[in-house]
This record gives sequence, C-alpha cells and structure tokens, in this order.
Amino acid sequence: MIELVLETKDLKVYYGKNMVIKDVNLKVPKNVVFALMGPSGCGKSTMLRTFNRLLELNSEARVEGEVRIFGRNIYAPDVDPIEVRREVGMVFQYPNPFPHLTIYDNVAIGLKLNRLVRSKEELDKRVKWALKKAALWDEVKDRLDDYPSNLSGGQRQRLVIARTLAMKPKILLMDEPTANIDPVGTKKIEELLFELKKEYTIILVTHSPAQAARVSDYVAFLYLGELIEVGPTKRVFENPEHELTEQYVTGALG
Amino acid sequence: MSGYNVRKLKEKLFLFLIGALTVLMFFPLFHIIYSVFKNGIHVILNRGATFITGTLSDGGIGPAIIGTFILVFLASLIGLPVAFLVGIYAYEYPESTLGKATKSLLQIMLEFPTILVGVFVMQILVVPMGTYSALAGALALAIIMMPYVAVYTHEAMRQIPFAYREAAFSLGLTRVKAVFRVLVPMAKRGILTGVLIGIAKVAGETAPLLFTVGGSYQTYQIGITKPVGAIPLLIYTLIQSPAKEYHEMAWGASLILLLIFLGIFIPVRLSLREVKL
Amino acid sequence: MKVDLKHILLPFVGFVLGLFVLMLLVYFYNSMPIFHREGLDIYLKNVWKAPEEPSREHYGVLAAIWGSIYTSVIAILITLPLSLAYSVFVVDYAPKRIKTWLIILSDVMAGLPTIIYGIWGVFVLVPLLKKIVMQPLHDHLSFLPLFSYPPITGFSYLSAGILLGIMVTPFASAIIREAYQMIPFTYREAIYSLGATRLEATKILLGYVKPAIYSGIILAFGRAIGETAAVSLVIGNTFNLSLALFAPGYTISSLIANQFGNAFIYEYMTSALFAAGLVLFAIGLVVNLAGIYLLRRWEANVRL
Repeated sequence: MIELVLETKDLKVYYGKNMVIKDVNLKVPKNVVFALMGPSGCGKSTMLRTFNRLLELNSEARVEGEVRIFGRNIYAPDVDPIEVRREVGMVFQYPNPFPHLTIYDNVAIGLKLNRLVRSKEELDKRVKWALKKAALWDEVKDRLDDYPSNLSGGQRQRLVIARTLAMKPKILLMDEPTANIDPVGTKKIEELLFELKKEYTIILVTHSPAQAARVSDYVAFLYLGELIEVGPTKRVFENPEHELTEQYVTGALG
Repeated sequence: MSGYNVRKLKEKLFLFLIGALTVLMFFPLFHIIYSVFKNGIHVILNRGATFITGTLSDGGIGPAIIGTFILVFLASLIGLPVAFLVGIYAYEYPESTLGKATKSLLQIMLEFPTILVGVFVMQILVVPMGTYSALAGALALAIIMMPYVAVYTHEAMRQIPFAYREAAFSLGLTRVKAVFRVLVPMAKRGILTGVLIGIAKVAGETAPLLFTVGGSYQTYQIGITKPVGAIPLLIYTLIQSPAKEYHEMAWGASLILLLIFLGIFIPVRLSLREVKL
Repeated sequence: MKVDLKHILLPFVGFVLGLFVLMLLVYFYNSMPIFHREGLDIYLKNVWKAPEEPSREHYGVLAAIWGSIYTSVIAILITLPLSLAYSVFVVDYAPKRIKTWLIILSDVMAGLPTIIYGIWGVFVLVPLLKKIVMQPLHDHLSFLPLFSYPPITGFSYLSAGILLGIMVTPFASAIIREAYQMIPFTYREAIYSLGATRLEATKILLGYVKPAIYSGIILAFGRAIGETAAVSLVIGNTFNLSLALFAPGYTISSLIANQFGNAFIYEYMTSALFAAGLVLFAIGLVVNLAGIYLLRRWEANVRL
C-alpha cells in the first residue's frame, strides 16, 4: 500500500469567472519527485499554490474541492493556512532570498519568527544543517554574514532551498526553480533533487519536458487546466496514452 | 516652400517659448533664495551668535528655533506611529471599503487648507484648556504631517515585489509577522523618506500655528501646556510690525528657516533617486 | 483570541477618520449661530459690522469668497502655461542631468515654507509689481475696469494671484509631467512618422493627457485657495468686491487669519469666521476629490 503524501479530489480553481483548474484528481506518493508539466499558462503554478494555500494571497482566486495532505483536507474550514505553510515548503521561479538579510539570517528567519528553536546553539546547528542539505554550506561557510546579492543565481536558489529546508517541512513545492538559472546552476540543483527525495516528497512544476524526463519519478501533464495524463515518468514519455501528451513530449506542442 | 519656412519659424518660436517659460517658472525660486541670503546674512553677521541664542529683547530668535524643534518633535511623536500604521492598512487591505476610504482621505488631506486644521485644533484643545500650548501646535502639525508619511509608507510597501510577499508567507508566518518583521524592513528606505519629507514640511508651516501656540519669544520657558514660538510664526509676526529692525530680523530668521528646510529636503530628495528595489 | 493584523491597525484608522469627521462637525456646529442670525446671507453679502452691541453685528463674507476665487483663478492662469512648458521641456528636450535637477527643483519649490514666499512677496515682489506693472498700467489705462483701482501700497488681488501662481505651479507641474512622461514611446514614434513638427506633435501628445492636465490644474487651484500665510501678507486684507486687479481684498483664509485673533470679543464674529471656514472646507474637499477622481479614472481607462 503506497502511502499518499498529497491527494487532490475534484480540485477546481476560479479566477473571477474563469475556471483555470478543472476537476483535477492527483495522487502523490512518498519520497518521489513528482513533476507537473505543461505549456505555459495552463495553470501549473496556480495548482501548486493550492497545495500550501498560498493562492489565498490573490484575492481573485477561489478554490473548490479537496487537497489532502497525509489524509487531512487542508481546505477544511477548521484548518489554519499558516499551519499548512509551516509543513509545506516552497521554492520559487525567481530566486527570492530576502535581500536585506544576511545569508545566515535568510535561513534562520523562518525558524526565529515561528519560534521553532529554543537557543542560539540550536539555531546555529539548524542553519548549518539546512545549508549542508542544500549543498551550499561549503560555498558560504566563511561568509554567513554576507548578503545574497553577492551570490550567483544558482547559489541564491539553493539559499532559498536551505531557507525552506530549515523549517523541516514534509513536502517541498518547487515552481520552475531552474527557469532563471544558468545551466551549471541548474545541473547542481537537479542533482540536489536526487538527494532530497530520499527524505522529502518533492512536487516540481517545470516548463521543460526534458527536465521532467531527467529528474522526476512521476509526471502529470496539464493542459489548459485539465489533467490529461499522469503516471510513472518512463511510461508517460515512452508510451503516452493521450495524443496531446505525445505532442507535448515530442515538442510539437508549445 | 514658403509654407515650409513658416512651419520652421513656428517650430523655432515654439522651442524658444518652451525654454523661456521653463526658465520663468524657476526664476522666482532663485530670486527668493538670493533675496533671503542677501538680506538675511547681514543680520546674522551683525548680531552673530546672539541672533541664534538670544531672546527677542536681545534681538535674537533663540526661543523660536527651540520652539520649532519642540513642535516638530512632538508632532512626530503623535503623528508618525499613527500615519505609519494607517499607511500599512491602506497597503494590506486595498480592496476593503475602509481601505479605499482611507486612501481617498489621505489624498484629500495631503493639500488641505492648513488654516482650517489650526482653527479646528484651537477649538478642541486651546479653548477647553484655556491656554495656547505646544501640545495644540504639535497636534495641528501632526494632522498635517500624517498624510505624507502614510502615503509614502503605502507607496514604499507597494514597491516590494510580490515574490517577497509570497516567500514570507510560504514560510508559514502570520500576517502580523510577515508584514512587520519581513516586509516593512524591506521598505524602510521609502518610509524613512516619507518621514523626513513630512518633517521638512511641517517645520515650515505657519497657518496651523496661528491660533494654537501663541508665540512666545521672550523667554525660554518650555512646557507642553505652555505657549511656544516657532520660526515661521515669528517671521509672520515680525513682517507685520512697523519696525524696520523687526523686518531685518524677519529676513535673518527666514535665512535660518531656509537653511533648515534645504538641509533636510535636498539630501532626502537626492537619496530618493537611488531607492529602486 | 489570536491577535490579527486588522485588530492592531483598525483603531488607528478609526482615529484618523474620526478626527476628520470631528473637524467637519466642529465647523458645522460653530457656524450654526451665524446661520441662525444671517441665514445664507452670510455668504451672499459683503458686510462686516462689529460694533459693541451684539444685536447690531452684521456679517457677510462674500468679499472673502470672491477674493479666494479671483486670486486662485489668476494663479492657475499663470500656472497653466508654465507647468505645460515645464513638462514638455523636461520630458522632451532636457538633457538627462538637467532633467533630474529640474524635477528636484520643482519639488523644492513645492515644499518651500510658504512664509518664505511671503516675505519675498511683501518686500520684493509687491514693490516691483507696483512700480513696473501696476503704476504704468493704471496711469495709462485706468479707464479699463481691470486697471481702475489706484495702486497705493501694491497689496492687491494681482499681487496675491501672481504669488500664488508661482507657489502652486510645481504642484500642477508634477502631475502633468508624470502623465506626459508615461505616454508610450510607440505613440510618439507614430506621430513623428506621420511628418509632424515638434509643435504639432506636442499639441497632440498633450491632448492625450488632457485629463491629467485638468487634474493638475484643479489640484493647483485647491492648493491656491487654501494658502494662508503668503496670501494674507500681500492681499491687503480689505473688504472689497471688485474686479480691479490692483485693489486690495480678502481671501477666506486671510480673513480667518486676520480676524480670528480678536473675534472672541464679539458675540457672532467667531461663528461668522467658522462659516467662512466651512466654505473653504467644502471647496477644498470638492476640488481635491474632483482632481483625484479625474486622475484615477484616466489612469484606469487609458493607461496600459
């Protein structure tokens, strides 16, 4: 029996009168890299943001249906979105470490403000651990009080990953994390994913079918808000069941 | 042919006119600064330090200078926290009716007739208290300062890219913490600019002080519930007296005021250019 | 109960809104006595009798209302060409370095303490105007109503209007300049590619931002009408109801500034002044709202 980390039931999202996510049913198992792919504008980023209820920052968005994390529907009325966000971490399309905080403070801020650690020693340990897990420690250990503006794009993104990991979430959501990173940095982050999935479940939105093929175990293909096909990556790419999927993975679709 | 020449002539005339009118717009500013310096520097040089430290009977404007500082300080104490929080509210809840009403109100108050504010404060503070006071003047100035600080706060917060807002919330921070511990520090440059501009503005105001502070220039007695003087108010009074000597003092005081104003305003305004998140 | 952001902020918002409402109420409440006594005549008549006996007090602030409007109109007549020229120059012709400084200088003019405008107005502008403009015009053209009043001191509607014009031009300029700057470059390209001269192109482009121009002028008007310190020093503070540019007069704000000090001696004068203030309040409100509304509506509809 595969343990389901995240499951959606008839998930719908509306922007005003537009339905942008149409009855999506998804099952995400534990300790995998689960990719969401599809042409731009098809709603992948929107759907990702329903998984940590970050969509609520957009006042025009409305969500119907269920998103279950470890069996619990996070859209139930008695659920606090802030609690949800502490258990689900997110990495964004544009590396966004806080520019006015040092590298150390960037990793520490989630812990400090949420009072997740009790002492300075514990904080130091956690920061070091998170930076190591994000494969950034060696590159910044001598300049923890430097600022993110002095890091490369790839390093900044790994800093964001460290910031997220510090909170010890169960699920990592990644919204096109390498879209704005150079190829070398991209490679480093993709390698990191192989390590991270041993302990975490990663849901990755990508605009590149090639990346999905490289890094993911499972992949879901979204087109215009609908879930067209989902399954083990190898199978979907080598034997797509749906015509649209085949067009997309071969590059015929934009 | 000649039609083309006419067009060319019109064009040259037009360009000349544009340039001339622009010069005309700024000519008064330069002439004002020149006049204030020319007429004010005499007095200050003649009387030296007494001008700045002495009381009116000694021919100095000391109490007015102190008064201005006290009033601006008190006004900031009252007005800054309120304005800052109101600005944050307008930023966080822009869609709510209250949020929209607040934004409109702030815009209205931005250039509201300051004499009306002064008379209002007089009615609610000076009359019941039975005396002119620094407190009343400070309240009037605070009311005038608030829209500036609130609007600048609002704008500075709005400039923060949405990505950082997402990042802050994705860490599971409460709204209070996300706004005050992460976002506000990112906007602090812009907010500080608004504060300094507000201060520069109220330091030079006359009308709101007319019926609130009384104008005390012979002593250095300081108290929140006592009358107090201010440089702009003193200048206003001195100009209207028939004594030539007082007119000279008015120019000297104007020079001091001008220096204070430019000293705050120009650095703040120059630093604004560099603030680009 | 958990402390929400709203709970922290709402009291302060309430305080600010409440203060504004209280201000309005104070003006209404204190105008009541004079309304009962004079009715609407307080606004429609020009009279100011303050004898010792309260029953013979008689007020009408029409002169002040007229003065406020007249001087502010003169002011925006000056502002219009100057702010348009400035905006066009800064956006289209000024080299980069000068451009920044011109904007900063405009802001300095906008923020400069008004009493400094005032002292310059009293001791420099007015004598100059009297000598160079008013005296000659009166000497030669006094048959024209505009120039019929003899300029004795030089304190007049004209002096106040010009001083106000100088003071409020930066306000209109800021709004018009920003709007003019935002016109998409492709629009400019298109106009020139049709063979327009600079004059013609400028006219078309300014037409594109007309609502912003209206808004800027309206807001400048509002600023002018609310100005106290500088105006009260150069307008002459006399009850007049005249079109003559060189005649002294009153504005609502200068009336209040001038008369409030001794108003408490009389029974109804304070109320009369509050009533005058109420008008100014209303004008200030209407003008600011109109200006902002125009600007916002234009921004929403036209700007990309």
